[in-house]
Amino acid sequence: MLDSLARLGRWGLGMFERLGRGHLFLLSMLGGLHVLVMRPRLVIREVYAVGVLSLLIIVVSGGFVGMVLGLQGYNTLVGFGAEQSLGTVVSLSLLRELGPVVTALLFAGRAGSALTAEIGLMKSTEQLSGMEMMAVDPMRRVVAPRFLAGFFSMPLLAIIFSAVGVMGGYFVGVGLLGVDAGAFWSQMQDSVDFNEDVMNGVIKSLVFGFVVTWIALFEGYDATPTSEGVSRATTRTVVHSSLAVLGLDFILTGLMFNKF
Amino acid sequence: METTRKIEILVGIFIAAGFAALFMLAMQVSNLSSFQNTAGYQVTAQFDNIGGLKVRSPVTVSGVRVGRVTAIRYDPESFRAEVTMTLDAKHDYLPMDTIASIYTSGLLGEQYVALEPGAEMEVLKDGDRVEFTQSALVLEEMVSRLLNRLTTN
Amino acid sequence: MIEVRDLHFARGSRKIFDGLDLDIHAGRVTAIMGPSGTGKTTLLKLIGGQLRPQHGSIRVDGQDVHRLGRGDLYRLRRRMGMLFQSGALLTDLSVFDNVAFPLREHTRLPERMIRDLVLMKLEAVGLRGARDLMPAELSGGMARRVALARAIALDPMMIMYDEPFTGLDPITMGTIVTLIKRLNDAIRLTSIVVSHDVRETLSIADDVYLIADGKVVERGTPEALAKTASDWANQFLQGLPDGPVPFHYPAADYREDLMNGGRDAR
Repeated sequence: MLDSLARLGRWGLGMFERLGRGHLFLLSMLGGLHVLVMRPRLVIREVYAVGVLSLLIIVVSGGFVGMVLGLQGYNTLVGFGAEQSLGTVVSLSLLRELGPVVTALLFAGRAGSALTAEIGLMKSTEQLSGMEMMAVDPMRRVVAPRFLAGFFSMPLLAIIFSAVGVMGGYFVGVGLLGVDAGAFWSQMQDSVDFNEDVMNGVIKSLVFGFVVTWIALFEGYDATPTSEGVSRATTRTVVHSSLAVLGLDFILTGLMFNKF
Repeated sequence: METTRKIEILVGIFIAAGFAALFMLAMQVSNLSSFQNTAGYQVTAQFDNIGGLKVRSPVTVSGVRVGRVTAIRYDPESFRAEVTMTLDAKHDYLPMDTIASIYTSGLLGEQYVALEPGAEMEVLKDGDRVEFTQSALVLEEMVSRLLNRLTTN
Repeated sequence: MIEVRDLHFARGSRKIFDGLDLDIHAGRVTAIMGPSGTGKTTLLKLIGGQLRPQHGSIRVDGQDVHRLGRGDLYRLRRRMGMLFQSGALLTDLSVFDNVAFPLREHTRLPERMIRDLVLMKLEAVGLRGARDLMPAELSGGMARRVALARAIALDPMMIMYDEPFTGLDPITMGTIVTLIKRLNDAIRLTSIVVSHDVRETLSIADDVYLIADGKVVERGTPEALAKTASDWANQFLQGLPDGPVPFHYPAADYREDLMNGGRDAR
C-alpha cells in the first residue's frame, strides 16, 4: 500500500521535474533565436528538412481526406436534398479542423520523430558535447534553427493541406458525383469567412507547430544517450505531441468558434 | 555549394506554394474576393425587431446579393434596432425611398435583408438611412396573434 | 597551467571524485590513468566546464572555470581543444567542413583563407586527400585524426585527449601516438591524455597521474613510477589480473553460491 503510494509520488515528482526541464529548455531555446537573424541560412536548411520533405505526405493525405469528405458529405447531404452545400461542408471541416489537426499529427510523425532522432543521435555520439567544447552553443547552432523552421513550416503545410483537400473534394463532388460547380464554389464562398475560418485555422496550426516542434526537440535533447533511449524518445515525441495537438485543438476550438 | 543552392530553391518553392495555397483559399474558398469591407458604402436602417438577423447576413435586391450586414446595435433613443449594412460600391443606384425588409430564406433558413427599390430620383449614399423598413416576422408573435383572434371571437 | 584543488564530484549517490588534486604544466604531456569507471572522462568535462563540481575548484590559465560567466567560459573554451573517444564529428558535414566548422563559427575569415587553414590542419594529420569524404566513410582511426585536425583548427593552448588509443589497430595507434607527441612539441601545446593503455601512454607522457577511488594514488614521471611502484600501481602498470584490485566482483562465497541450488534464482 505504502509502496504503491510512494511509486505514485515518485512518478508525479518525476513528471513535474520533466515539465520544469521542458520549460527551461524552451526558455533557453527562445533565448537562442536572436542569433539566427544573422544566419538565415541555418534556418533554410532546416525548413528543407522539416517542411519540404514533409510536403509529399501532406499533399497526398490532403487530397485523400478531401476526397473522402466529398464522398461522405455527398451521401449525407443528398438525403436532405442539400448536396449544393457540399463545398461548404468540405471547406469548413478542412479549414477549421482537419487541415490544422491532421497536418499536425502527420507533422509529428514525419518531422517531429525525425527531429527527436536526429538530436538524440547527435547527443549519443557526443556531437552536442563536442560542439560545446568547441565553444559553440548547441542550443543556438542546432536547436534554435530547427525550432524556427518547425514553427514556420507547420502553418504553410496546413494551408497546403487544406487547399489540396478542397480540390480533392471538388474533384469527387463536381467531377464524379455531378454537383453543380457554380453552386459548389458560391455556397462555399457564402459561408466561409476569411478571418473567422481561414485565419483561425492558421492560428491553430501556428500553435500546433510551436508545441510539436518544442516537444520533439526537447525529447531529443533530453533523451538517454543510448540507442534504446533515443528510440524511446522518438516514440514519446509522437505520442505526446499527438495528445497535445488533440487536447489543444479542443481548447482552441472552444475559444475561437464558441463565444462563451 | 551546389546542394545548398538546390535546398534554397526547394525551400523557395515550398514557401511560394504555401502562399499560393493561402491566396487560393482567400480568393476561391472564402468570401474575401466577393466582398470586402473597404470597397463599399454604408447605410443604416432601423427595425422594430430584427429576429434572427446576424452580422454578416446577406443584403439582397431582388434576390441578388449586393452587400452584407456589418453591425447591429440597439438605439436607446428611438428604442429600435439599428442595422448597418455595407453595400458594394457598384450598386449605387438605390433610390432614397427604398424599403428594407427582413425575410427568411426557406422555412428554417438564414435571415437576410431584402431591399426593394422605390421611385425617387435621389440615390442612397454613404451614411444615409433607409427610412422605410419592415421588421422580421417572428413565428411566436404570429401564433399568439392568431390565438388571440380565435379566442376573442 | 591547470590546477585542480580538492575536487569533489558525485553522480547521484555515487562519489566519483573525493578530494582530487592535480597540477598540469604548460607545454608538457600529462597522462591521467586509472581503471575504467574512475571518472577520467568526467574529469575532462569538469575542466571544460561542462559539469560542475560539488566542491573544490579548477583553474585553467589562472581563471576559475566554474566562476566564469557564459561569455568568458566560451572564450576560454575556444582556447581548449578536446578529442572525444568517438571523434564526435558532425555527421552531416564532410571532413573539410568539419575541420572548417570552428573557424566558420568563430571567425569572419574569407573562404579562401579558411580553405588554406583547413588544408594545413588536414595535412598535419595526413588526411588532406580525404577532405571530401563523409564521416560515415571514415575508419575509426581516420575519424580520430580528423577530429584532431578540428581540435587544433583554432590553434588552442591545450588539448584534452579522451581515450585516444582505444579500439585502434597497432599501425593507427602508432600514428596517433606520434601525432600527439609531434603536435605537442611542434606548437608547444599542453596536452592531457586520459587513457588506460599503459604502454602507449607512458611512451609519450612527461608526467603521469594514477587515479583510483576518486583520489590521486601515484604521481611522477614514467621512470619514477616504474621504480617506486606501490602494489596497486604495479598491478595497474603491469596489467596483472589479480592484486589489490581483486579479480572478482564482490560476491557471496563461491562454494555456498553453487550449493545454494538456485534457491535465490527468483
